[in-house]
Amino acid sequence: MTNPILEMRNVHKNFGKTAALSNFSLALYPGEIHALVGENGAGKSTLIKSMTGIHQPSSGEIFVDGKKCTFRSTQESQAGGVAAIYQEPMVFPDLNIAENIFISHHDRPAFINWKQMYDEAEKLVARLGVNLDVHRAASSLTLAEQQTVEIARAISLDVRVLIMDEPSASLSNHEVERLFGIARSLRDQGVAVLYISHRLEEVFELSDKVTVMRDGEHISTKPTAEVTHDTLVAEMVGRDMQGRFARVPSVATGETMLSVKGLRKFGEFRDISFEVQKGEIVCFSGLVGAKRTDVALALFGIEPADEGQIEIDGKNVEIATPKDAIEMGIAYVSEDRRKLGIAMEESITANITLPMLARYANKMGLINTQLEHEDAQNYREKLNIKTNDLDGAVGTLSGGNQQKVMLAKWLNTNPTILIVDEPTRGIDVGAKAEVHQIIHDLAAAGVAILIISSDLPEVMSLADKIIVMREGHIAGIFAGEDASEEQVMRLAVGAKTQEEVA
Amino acid sequence: MEAQSNIQRLFKPLISWEGFLLFALILLFIGNSISSPFFLTVNNQINLFQLSIEKVIVAVIMTLVIINAEIDLSVASIMGLSACAFGWLFQMGVPAAAAVPMVLVLGAILGGFNAFWIAWVGIPSLVVTLATMIAFRGMARVLVEDRGITDFPDWFDGLGQNPFVGPFPLAMIVFFLLVAIFYVILQKSTFGRQVYFVGSNREVAEFSGVNVRRVKATIFIASGLISSLAGLLFAARVGAVRGDVALGFELDIITIVLLGGVSIFGGTGTMIGTLLSILIVLNLRNGMALSNITGHIQTGVLGVLLILSVMVPTIKQFLTKLFGAKISGEQKELKNE
Amino acid sequence: MLESINRKFGPNTLRVSILVLVLVLMVLFFSTQIQNYLNPRLFVRISTSVSIIALIAVGQAVVVMTRNIDLSIGSIIGCTAYFLGGIMALYPNIPAFLVMPLAMLIGAGFGMVNGLLVSRFKLPSIIVTLATLAIFRSILVQSSGGRSITTASLPVWLVDFARTNAFEIAGFQIRWMVVIAVLVVVVMHIFLTRFRAGRQFYAVGSNPDAAEFAGINMQKTVLQAFLISGALAGLAGFMYLSRFGNITVVAGLGLEFKAVGAVVVGGINIFGGSGSVIGALVGATLIDLLDNSLVRWELVSEFWRDAILGLLILFAVAMDAILMRRLNARRKKPIDEKVQDPQDAISTNGTTPKMEEK
Repeated sequence: MTNPILEMRNVHKNFGKTAALSNFSLALYPGEIHALVGENGAGKSTLIKSMTGIHQPSSGEIFVDGKKCTFRSTQESQAGGVAAIYQEPMVFPDLNIAENIFISHHDRPAFINWKQMYDEAEKLVARLGVNLDVHRAASSLTLAEQQTVEIARAISLDVRVLIMDEPSASLSNHEVERLFGIARSLRDQGVAVLYISHRLEEVFELSDKVTVMRDGEHISTKPTAEVTHDTLVAEMVGRDMQGRFARVPSVATGETMLSVKGLRKFGEFRDISFEVQKGEIVCFSGLVGAKRTDVALALFGIEPADEGQIEIDGKNVEIATPKDAIEMGIAYVSEDRRKLGIAMEESITANITLPMLARYANKMGLINTQLEHEDAQNYREKLNIKTNDLDGAVGTLSGGNQQKVMLAKWLNTNPTILIVDEPTRGIDVGAKAEVHQIIHDLAAAGVAILIISSDLPEVMSLADKIIVMREGHIAGIFAGEDASEEQVMRLAVGAKTQEEVA
Repeated sequence: MEAQSNIQRLFKPLISWEGFLLFALILLFIGNSISSPFFLTVNNQINLFQLSIEKVIVAVIMTLVIINAEIDLSVASIMGLSACAFGWLFQMGVPAAAAVPMVLVLGAILGGFNAFWIAWVGIPSLVVTLATMIAFRGMARVLVEDRGITDFPDWFDGLGQNPFVGPFPLAMIVFFLLVAIFYVILQKSTFGRQVYFVGSNREVAEFSGVNVRRVKATIFIASGLISSLAGLLFAARVGAVRGDVALGFELDIITIVLLGGVSIFGGTGTMIGTLLSILIVLNLRNGMALSNITGHIQTGVLGVLLILSVMVPTIKQFLTKLFGAKISGEQKELKNE
Repeated sequence: MLESINRKFGPNTLRVSILVLVLVLMVLFFSTQIQNYLNPRLFVRISTSVSIIALIAVGQAVVVMTRNIDLSIGSIIGCTAYFLGGIMALYPNIPAFLVMPLAMLIGAGFGMVNGLLVSRFKLPSIIVTLATLAIFRSILVQSSGGRSITTASLPVWLVDFARTNAFEIAGFQIRWMVVIAVLVVVVMHIFLTRFRAGRQFYAVGSNPDAAEFAGINMQKTVLQAFLISGALAGLAGFMYLSRFGNITVVAGLGLEFKAVGAVVVGGINIFGGSGSVIGALVGATLIDLLDNSLVRWELVSEFWRDAILGLLILFAVAMDAILMRRLNARRKKPIDEKVQDPQDAISTNGTTPKMEEK
């Protein structure tokens, strides 16, 4: 058997007290496609970043060709023969393909021989088995073509380990086929390909070996021929019951609060129909890129849908702007706290009262700050926001407390329908439990709750109803108490059962 | 714990940028008073204001423009065009009393023109107002060519030159009125709150139901209107208009606002900061003039201050590190929980 | 249609071609409006005037490509012209071939101040150069003590330089100034299109994150851009000195806005990453030709110049923004195609979880 090109031995990576990678070992051999699977947050991106010099492992060793290596930057990792391409390609839109390929070749002569560069670029592109005019500007390329350019850039640097991080997530079917063709031809040329994907069909179609990781740990590495959809899914989600939250009995009232019929947005999602009752907690599960957030944005009037009906409390409504949505009692707590949730420079109180300013203003448009402070004070106590200065900038708070301020802001709108996007991503266990308690309290008060979460245990413990989305449509709907993580995951990744495979 | 937070409250204003400005202003007062006994008299201060009154009036609205994370380079050209439009209308036989409201409407329209390209077409305000800075100035020259227009009615010139209430001329009353109004708008009104949020994080504002375009458009229209008012006050004070009225004022105006602690990236800054900055710049210029430093050099000194003022975040950080480490310790603890 | 043109020529070639077309149309238009418009004397006048604007437009273009702006150019020209004039009056024997490098060195010195403040201290370039616009001017005022440079104090060759012909074609005289400006444009064009170091300006402006990722030294590149802009402003200062002879403390006032205007009209994206110095040259020519022609057009008062110039800039930017938006709209990924793929329809049916009643 040949020696591995790249080998990781007992690599640890800690961020503060949390371990993103623990005792991780992996070997990549020339001429094989090695698939890596795991849930969202299993530590895959930390792994890639540790391999490509963006992160340095806290401990453990990386060997390339049997020699110990320490990469301190992506340039160093590329020089060492390891490169990665991502879902969102890193290209220069204003430069043409040839130049995009050779931009990081700092050892090329200062004077550019364009003809030679085009020739070389054409050869590289041909090596990938695709047909691309290398004179075209990157801005005129599709996402898939931009990825191809990135792959060409990587192999132009004589990379022998190519990491592909969910490259297919936003590609169409025939683009994925073409990508597979490229991956296979690289394999045949002796490159080791590490292929990361959520889609199990792809893993089975493409890979020679498959590694499962979970919670930063290496679970298994087996030849793909020896695993089935069932065993993979079980390994991906199979965690001990520790850390799970107990289920709370449903308080759904049976009265329909929100009813969505045939919602569609061209290029994003289609056929979205569901209902939420007062007091019901409905979770949207699915992979990143399943367009769950896009559905929420449509309901909230940011990117209104092209077709379909929305009924609130039995009345047909038109939601064109967030202002409309807020007035109809919808609140949307975004997953991107920094970009979309709260304004860091502004005060805690001002952030909380922003969507409801009219409530605090008199006819002249002047704000009753006394009233404002009372409400902010109220939320500080209710949500246990740790601060001694409600007029201080939100940016000075810790992440968990910022999250609570964002939640307070939307609770303050007295929503009848609350949409929460990834409510507990990136916050610690204690804060997580507090957030879950708040959600249960709201449900008990009769609020219809929609949660978008990629955290399966969270979905399992919270949901009265689970809607699984995949690639822009609803793949299935479960009752919360009957569903298992395996079932949900299987539907989300589009896995096939034994009979089907056979 | 309680005592500590009291100390924090006590020191907080001192480590803020406004506190620093106040400190600098007091030093400046002391220095200037030593060099001239007449310095700290009401009349001298009024004279100081009168010399730059149009600039400081526009600085009030520029504060909102920059808090909103935009910039308006065309203000001085709108001042010039408004003054010239007034002169032109007057020359065409329109009574001054009728020309004044017409010019104010023109100012709002010019501001609306900027607003259209910025808020609806989505072209950066830097580019739009650079182009309109050139264009509006050009239109002013079209109106008056290379003539000067004078001989406005006495009542009009009087508004610019004579005391209006007590020892204060009209322009100064307008200024303090605007400062008060915009202080209330920024600190107490729903609109002011929206201005801060749009400047701090446009998306967050949008997601919270704020009509971002309307906020931006309102500010640029107000900027045009107030610049136009300032142009009229200039015409009244000088008693004459020419094509180069207020030429190059935008630099001084923007410098004043940035020096007052408004971040060029938007979202922070106060009317108090701008007011203190105005007082500092006026007294500094006066002090330099007393020391025989000419106008161009004064502007150069302001340029140095401008660079220092964009280092405000860096300076603030430095000050907080120096004086605030103990005070903010409590806050840090919370952050690390 | 738009797409196929874009594929074939690239947006920049398209832009420049349109601009050249506009330029030709403008010349034709004015030749019908102004008597004896296409005469050799006007050609000389406009070509020398364009030379100065073209130089600073090229410098500005390089800065704008890196997502920055240089508003201090007018003051740099004034300072260089003044200081160079002073030096030449004191040392009239400095050999002619050293004078231009000296001018560029002086200009680059000012450019370095801008460049260091922007790249090292990470300050917004608009603020820095707005400030140095005033600071450089005040340095000039302070050191001049209000005295002017006069033609009489300068060496004869220097004063004559602006009026010396390099050669003549069909009665049209080509001044040395024009040759130098064209040379600079050609050299800069080759540098920016043919040298790795030149391409880095585009890379940094096009995608700063990717540039960092590709190991390009951002600070160095931005500093270089300001050095080039300063050096070219210095060279323009030399020409200004030769052309006008008499230099006061207000020399070059407001030229920065002409440079920005030329760059924006010439299709250099204000957000960086694209455009060419050829575009800057055409933009400069367009602006200056308009300027010089309007003065001679009897139908419209010459005072319309700035009004038209400002609106032209706005119009050019708006057209560009709308055009680019149209071109970019195509880049949206074709997801519908995937979602509607018939293959997808069967893939969920295999699993048999308990489906809830709807």
